[in-house]
Amino acid sequence: MRAALMTGLILGLCGLIAGAVSLFYIAAGALGVLTQAAFGKPYIGVGIANTVTLILVLVMVVASLLTLAERKWSALMQDRIGPNRARIALPGLRNQSLLGIPHFLADGIKMLTKEDFVPAHASGFLYTLAPMLAFGTAFVLFAVVPVAPVVPAAEIPIVGGLASSLGVDASFPVSLQVAPGFDPGILFVFAFSGIAVFGTALAGWASNNRLALLGGLRGSSQMVAYEIALGMSLVGLMMIFQTLQLEVMTEGQTQGLFGGVLPAWGIFLQPLGFILFFTASFAELKRAPFDAPEGESEIVGYFVEYSGMRFGLFMISEFMGTVVLAGVVTALFLGGYHLPFPPAWGVEAWLGSAIGSFGLAVVMGMVFVLKVILLCWLQLAIRWTLPRFRFDKIQTLGWKILLPIALANIAVTAVLLLADPSLELLAIVGLAEILFLVGLTALYPKKHPSSIVVPGRMMAGGSGGH
Amino acid sequence: MASTKDKKRITEETAGLSWYQRLFVPEVIRGLAVTGRHFLRNLFGGRDPSPDFTYRKGSLGNQVATLQYPEEKAPYPVGYRGTHRLVPREDGKPRCVACYMCATVCPAQCIYIEAGEYSDDPIEKYPTVFVIDQLRCVVCGLCVEACPKDAIRMDTYQHTPPEYTREGFVYPIERLLKGPAVSHPSDPWLKRKDSAQPADQHFPLHGVAKHSTEPVERKEPLPQGKNHPEPPVFTEAEVRKANAG
Repeated sequence: MRAALMTGLILGLCGLIAGAVSLFYIAAGALGVLTQAAFGKPYIGVGIANTVTLILVLVMVVASLLTLAERKWSALMQDRIGPNRARIALPGLRNQSLLGIPHFLADGIKMLTKEDFVPAHASGFLYTLAPMLAFGTAFVLFAVVPVAPVVPAAEIPIVGGLASSLGVDASFPVSLQVAPGFDPGILFVFAFSGIAVFGTALAGWASNNRLALLGGLRGSSQMVAYEIALGMSLVGLMMIFQTLQLEVMTEGQTQGLFGGVLPAWGIFLQPLGFILFFTASFAELKRAPFDAPEGESEIVGYFVEYSGMRFGLFMISEFMGTVVLAGVVTALFLGGYHLPFPPAWGVEAWLGSAIGSFGLAVVMGMVFVLKVILLCWLQLAIRWTLPRFRFDKIQTLGWKILLPIALANIAVTAVLLLADPSLELLAIVGLAEILFLVGLTALYPKKHPSSIVVPGRMMAGGSGGH
Repeated sequence: MASTKDKKRITEETAGLSWYQRLFVPEVIRGLAVTGRHFLRNLFGGRDPSPDFTYRKGSLGNQVATLQYPEEKAPYPVGYRGTHRLVPREDGKPRCVACYMCATVCPAQCIYIEAGEYSDDPIEKYPTVFVIDQLRCVVCGLCVEACPKDAIRMDTYQHTPPEYTREGFVYPIERLLKGPAVSHPSDPWLKRKDSAQPADQHFPLHGVAKHSTEPVERKEPLPQGKNHPEPPVFTEAEVRKANAG
């Protein structure tokens, strides 16, 4: 009963995503046709439409829903029910918990209507600038993430008709990516996540609060420390695909290895790079277990003086960072918008012939969003699984562990690439690494070694003990 | 000197953990597996809606033990001392004979009684005023133990509901006199020859043998008539006047 309901909800969600993706395509194509007719430059309209639909709609909606999902999913992980008491006083909805969605609406109303407080000796301009920097940098990162593949505008329904009625050439490409063909690609992500450090540091400094200042210092030192590991962990992928553009990397992952049995996904070629990048991104986002800069209820952090929507910007930028990280990881390591099947099966070609190239593009966009949601779930699950690192351990992990491993990863990847440019040797080593981790996890002794037995437990008596 | 210091730091960092524990990633994966298992079980697993939440079946998959309180109420255990009630007789009068035992034994002094007399029954008294202040009550149950007439019980299985005023917690006789009627064959007002309810009329009424210890159940509707009057209703002024006279 409940399983059927939940499965239905998930399928409905898939349908909703597919519908949204096709609407995004139509919006991008239609605006592209209009600017083509007006200025002869279709990419202006496509870019504007994609900015609105992908960043303002897709990322914002997923990020705001994540504020709810964080509470609801964490409840499920901890055998609780989660928020379900907010109600909407409309006939028919009056006594429905609606999966807790009214809670996130109430959150928004609360943020917007709360007092906008500025401490007495705060540095006014910087105090205002800090949340903008935190939010804005998280906001623009999604520009380079490819959500769905390139489709000729003429193949999009409605758009083709619109173009022919306006007498415009509709052969220009439309893809769901704000900045396609943008050469810096992943460097853009590094650059703007580097600017996010200013948001944290300024928030701590401008609040005129010594605890906030300490939080800002912790945050900025942590983010600077992990910036390097973050960049280094992706050098291997850049060498493999010989590009910085995420859409080119996504396409590079469609090639089949071992006769098409294995797609050349980043996670198979660079499992170490995946773990390093994911870990470093967590520290960069200041999310648990790296949330020493501010720990919601326990640690006074850099935005302690912020209230209302200024605080809301910090909070939503954290969730937007979560979404962007999920998008980047999907594009780099999980085959982007491509369906998770071996290339030899030819699933995408078959699907394309069955439902047309536009239908295939919509399905691929849906697959991308589903992968993003799955990775968002993984990030939340990590948050609710792992205890927080001590701050000196965070620095140790960043400088002494992640950075050397990342450098070693680069060297090994380079050697393997030189030895075998067809990537198969790299895939063998990568699969061996994955097998090693899985085997170690499976064979991990369940009994704790005697060296860490809790002293109180030894009093249970008898050699067996409990 | 430096070497001992270094050695000490290394032992602190390793904290007695083996190399695969310090590798951390397998441990993270195992932890995620536990978290994910709980998540999936609670997302897809059916929920046993039994309000007796400590005994919910986990076999449906869902492990959530939350009690959705106002909609689901956990049953009170057998013998739970709920709010008091004054036990009525079959005819609706209180069994209470205003003996003041409960008010005397009450350690919180939350019971206040004023006694009156039935005009047609000169032997037993009855309470014209019987008040329990639920805010003072410590729910010890001594009043129930003290009562010689089984006239006050705490078998309502309700706790004191919230009120808007302090006065609301002072329960008068109208709020206390409720619940199923109780009769005992040994009740003197049923046995007395000169009572308003002679024994020969009483026992057929209840359909039980004389001196039975079985619980009494009424089988017919109450007969109306001279011998079965409505319970008297007195104003406080009348009672005080009668008592003074």
